[in-house]
Amino acid sequence: MLRIFRRASVGVAGLGLLLILLSPIIGEPLFEGTLWYIEPIAYIGGGVFIFGAIWAIAFYQNIARKNQLGVSDDRTWSQVTQDYFDTFAHDIGRPLRRILGKQREARALLNETGELSSKMISELLEEIENQAPNFRLMIENVRVLVDLEDRTAVPAVEPVDVAAIVRNVSDRYRPIARERGLDLSWWCEPSDFGLVYCDGSALDHVITNLVDNATKFADKHIEIRLTRTESTFLVTVWDDGKGISESHIPHVFDRGWTPEFSARAEKQSSGIGLFIASTLSERCGGKLLVESKQASDSTGVIDHHTTFNLSLPLDNRSKVSGR
Amino acid sequence: MTSKNKIGGGQKILVVDDEHMSDLMRSVLRKLEADGFTPIVVAPEGENITGDDYEVQTLFALETERPSAVLLDVRFGEYDSDRFKGLSILKSIVDFDGSMPVLMFTQYTQGPYRDTAVSASLSVSSSVDFIDKLASPEEVVLRLRRLIGSAPETIKIGSLFELDNENAAVYVINDGRRELIKEIQGMKLEILIELASAMYRSEGELVPFSRLERFSEGEDSRASLRVRIRELKVSLGKAVGREFGANELIFNVRNRGYRLVNPED
Repeated sequence: MLRIFRRASVGVAGLGLLLILLSPIIGEPLFEGTLWYIEPIAYIGGGVFIFGAIWAIAFYQNIARKNQLGVSDDRTWSQVTQDYFDTFAHDIGRPLRRILGKQREARALLNETGELSSKMISELLEEIENQAPNFRLMIENVRVLVDLEDRTAVPAVEPVDVAAIVRNVSDRYRPIARERGLDLSWWCEPSDFGLVYCDGSALDHVITNLVDNATKFADKHIEIRLTRTESTFLVTVWDDGKGISESHIPHVFDRGWTPEFSARAEKQSSGIGLFIASTLSERCGGKLLVESKQASDSTGVIDHHTTFNLSLPLDNRSKVSGR
Repeated sequence: MTSKNKIGGGQKILVVDDEHMSDLMRSVLRKLEADGFTPIVVAPEGENITGDDYEVQTLFALETERPSAVLLDVRFGEYDSDRFKGLSILKSIVDFDGSMPVLMFTQYTQGPYRDTAVSASLSVSSSVDFIDKLASPEEVVLRLRRLIGSAPETIKIGSLFELDNENAAVYVINDGRRELIKEIQGMKLEILIELASAMYRSEGELVPFSRLERFSEGEDSRASLRVRIRELKVSLGKAVGREFGANELIFNVRNRGYRLVNPED
């Protein structure tokens, strides 16, 4: 494509020059004795030449600038940004790894020696450990946000063990849930779920954001359920939190929306997790829906909860290749 | 307790990471040892060590140590040339032994570089998984354990009970000694094996009713199952001289199924 543009710009300039040169031969004077005595074709040729020349100069200047920055022509903006981001992610991960390493060493030493530490020290060590998954998710969220800007990107097509992804996310969030006094269960039906074709990385990220959200709002229980129909598989993340009001439901997936936003309170999160989860689900050919209940029912049974239902095709090969 | 009696059963884990001396990696090595694994760290000697040195030493260790799995970093050093050296080492490992489980320790668990890593591994049939370097040592060892995949001969249920799969028996642990709980046999034992296997795979895994229905009798299968579970809890409780409450040891999760949890000492 770039080669075509480059040739076109040179071609237009060349055509303009040709028209100027040929004007005495192919043109005829319109108004003798006036400025238009000179061939109008020469004027037109001049205009075309100037346009083509400006186009070509701008084009070559842009290439020179990219070469200076070490940017290749055949890579998209998103790929270039991803490259920078990966360097950044590695650099931001380094101090975090050091902090976590020191914290785990200190905790092991305290456990081994049995020394009584002040409550604050133990709490600090716990807090550092508990914040690690938040950092992990934050770094990945920025990466996915960058990726979502690339409108031409298509989801990966790979055989994925969905049950393993759900299990991994559950294992990652169990310590956090336990620390917050929550019980986290997961299961799949059928138990031998098998492989599906989808974008495993995107799926992992969507489920992680949903479970992370549930750990913030659950009262006591969180459940992750994996089921399937003939053509789709469903991941349901349920929590027994106080629920979302009906008027807020349409905004749950808006970028930057948080419950605190409506309450005009201090934000506890950036409000991009659910936006990313929803956008990524749609990009993968699926749908993310939310259902919530706030009040007790007519029998007086308290049943407040929120359920996120993610449905994705069992096989995304035809959808992705059709794009 | 010897490492043979722990989850790892003394299995060797080859650790290939140029940052193996870092605090973060030390916590992983410590957890491996605590769970009964024997970590073997690949550490080439000399000056100006490169990724190639790790690759050579890894192959040598595979030959001499015969590990059960490999914990491998993707990135070696700070130079771009060694950015994906781990993938080249992975290829060598798989060429050497196509069935070797490898857990890749990397920041690239998601995004385009994970795809690079996956495509490198999918071209081979080895059992490869990826984990973020910021993961907790518990998560790393759990993933490694699942990757190795072999069902353990015994599953510990807290520090109180031990399930012996091979001999189909449940023991209570008393001052380090195992005593057989004779009452738990037949269907009760099978239910316990089903629940304990799920817990071993993942602590939060629930066994849905659909998978437990074969252990019930009569028209009301759930009621029948409830009775068996209660009997099972009573038998286990009697062995340790206590009564397990509704939310202890085995519990019903919102009428979806049952889950086994490690009992408190």
